[in-house]
Amino acid sequence: MDKARKQHSLVDAQRPNLLEDTFPYNLPPLIHFSQQPVIEQIDGKPVEFDFAGIKDRDIVITDTTFRDGQQARPPYTIDQMVHIYDRLARLGGPNGVIRQTEFFLYTKNDRETLDRCRALGHTYPECTGWIRAVKGDFRLVKEAGLKETGMLTSCSDYHIFQKLRFRSRAECIDSYCEVVAAALEAGVRPRCHLEDVTRADIDGFVLPFVDRLMEMSSQVPDEQSVKIRLCDTLGFGVCYPGAELPRSVPKLIYKINRECGVPSERIEWHGHNDFHRVHANAATAWLYGCGAVNTTLFGFGERTGNPPLESAIIEYISLKGGPCGIDTLVISELADYMRSIGLPIPDNYPFAGRAFNTTRAGIHADGLRRDEQIYNIFDTALLLGRPPRVAITDKSGTDGVVHWVNEFFGLKGDDRINKIRLHKLARWVIDQYEEHGRLTTISDEELEAKTKELLPDYWEKYKPVR
Amino acid sequence: MATVEERVKAVTARILKVDPKQIKPEHNFTVDLGASSVQSVELVASFEEEFGIEMEEDAALSVQSIGGAVEFITGVCKEQGVDIEE
Repeated sequence: MDKARKQHSLVDAQRPNLLEDTFPYNLPPLIHFSQQPVIEQIDGKPVEFDFAGIKDRDIVITDTTFRDGQQARPPYTIDQMVHIYDRLARLGGPNGVIRQTEFFLYTKNDRETLDRCRALGHTYPECTGWIRAVKGDFRLVKEAGLKETGMLTSCSDYHIFQKLRFRSRAECIDSYCEVVAAALEAGVRPRCHLEDVTRADIDGFVLPFVDRLMEMSSQVPDEQSVKIRLCDTLGFGVCYPGAELPRSVPKLIYKINRECGVPSERIEWHGHNDFHRVHANAATAWLYGCGAVNTTLFGFGERTGNPPLESAIIEYISLKGGPCGIDTLVISELADYMRSIGLPIPDNYPFAGRAFNTTRAGIHADGLRRDEQIYNIFDTALLLGRPPRVAITDKSGTDGVVHWVNEFFGLKGDDRINKIRLHKLARWVIDQYEEHGRLTTISDEELEAKTKELLPDYWEKYKPVR
Repeated sequence: MATVEERVKAVTARILKVDPKQIKPEHNFTVDLGASSVQSVELVASFEEEFGIEMEEDAALSVQSIGGAVEFITGVCKEQGVDIEE
């Protein structure tokens, strides 16, 4: 430890270094990697991973809002799903950053939804199916005219023996492969969902199974070859270097990608958030060679949910260094829409909650007044249509009131009203707490009414047009 | 006409609710007279009203003492052509 110690000299400066290469403000903060490979010890040997190369690698986001996302809430109506699908297409853009979304195929409503989504004519997200691992279900996929479908191939012994009641692993693999063969025979690309993989015997079951799938894939055209979805069903995956299988996300991706030879574009990570690791695990999967991360809008999914799609979008831009055709403003549109149909999004939820960029502390409000970049993660007005805001409480101080009024009137730069002109409103706020014993946040509506009453000249000059 | 110092003390006494006779030039608005953040802003606004002047926000709020305020306001009055009794 002592050998690492060294003296560090102050680099004095009279001008700020705002690290704009990393924090460009008109984009989410960028993630730069050293050109040196990242080393992970696997099976006692150092293995290199090229994180910096992710800029040039084809990584994508896939969506399961209508499948896993819908398992955690009352069903969406057909109109709602068509609306969401249409916005997903705009959000992911023409390059198909949101590459696919999956649909149930069982009911009349399922099929009508699929038909109406496809009738919109979007190239992306491509529509895929989701069925049980039952041979007869491929009829549904064929009838729907889909080229790809997901199918459950659970792989932990919890599932193989306790849930599915197979008598042996060999019997289980034979059964799965029989269904995969049926899919290939029907001309449908199977996407095997390796359920509960982070609790499975990787060397004893998962890798032999994937080897067999690769062998079957070698007999069919590339576009039909089997895809592998790694399902961290209970959120046990961890991204720390050195963690052991089956929980290690890096080692899992390595084994599937390089030992079994499944190309990156055919590997997908599907996480759950039971241990608050869902987004970091998904991004880790990308970095270690997985082509797709499977997500849901606002992370809404079974139990604690899935990797949030909008977080993957922001991460994608951070890793790639540019928007690649993504329209980030759609994130706010979708959040408003979800709230309008009764999907609760917590106020402090990143990128989409009503108060994700709202500060309550006066000292932060002072920072926002001087330069909004001090306390805003990126240009949230530009990218999300959501300028930083201040919620007014007894902690907001005069600076909070100043920020609120200027933001309310939409005033910037030299046009901003200074705190001396707003002292009456600031006094009213303070008195609410000190004189009247108020305990709640002051609402925008109350502040608007008081602004009109106490600042009539400014109101007349700047009142918002609605 | 009252002097600048007398007028500054009178405004300060009214805003901070202290006895004007107890206010001394060396008194610090925050430490000695107990001005809160919003009262500091109210003081600046009231000085502007009292003297009929406009003060630069950051400069005015950086003044810390009664004597400093007298000096600062005197300078601003002269710049803006406002008659005062020194």
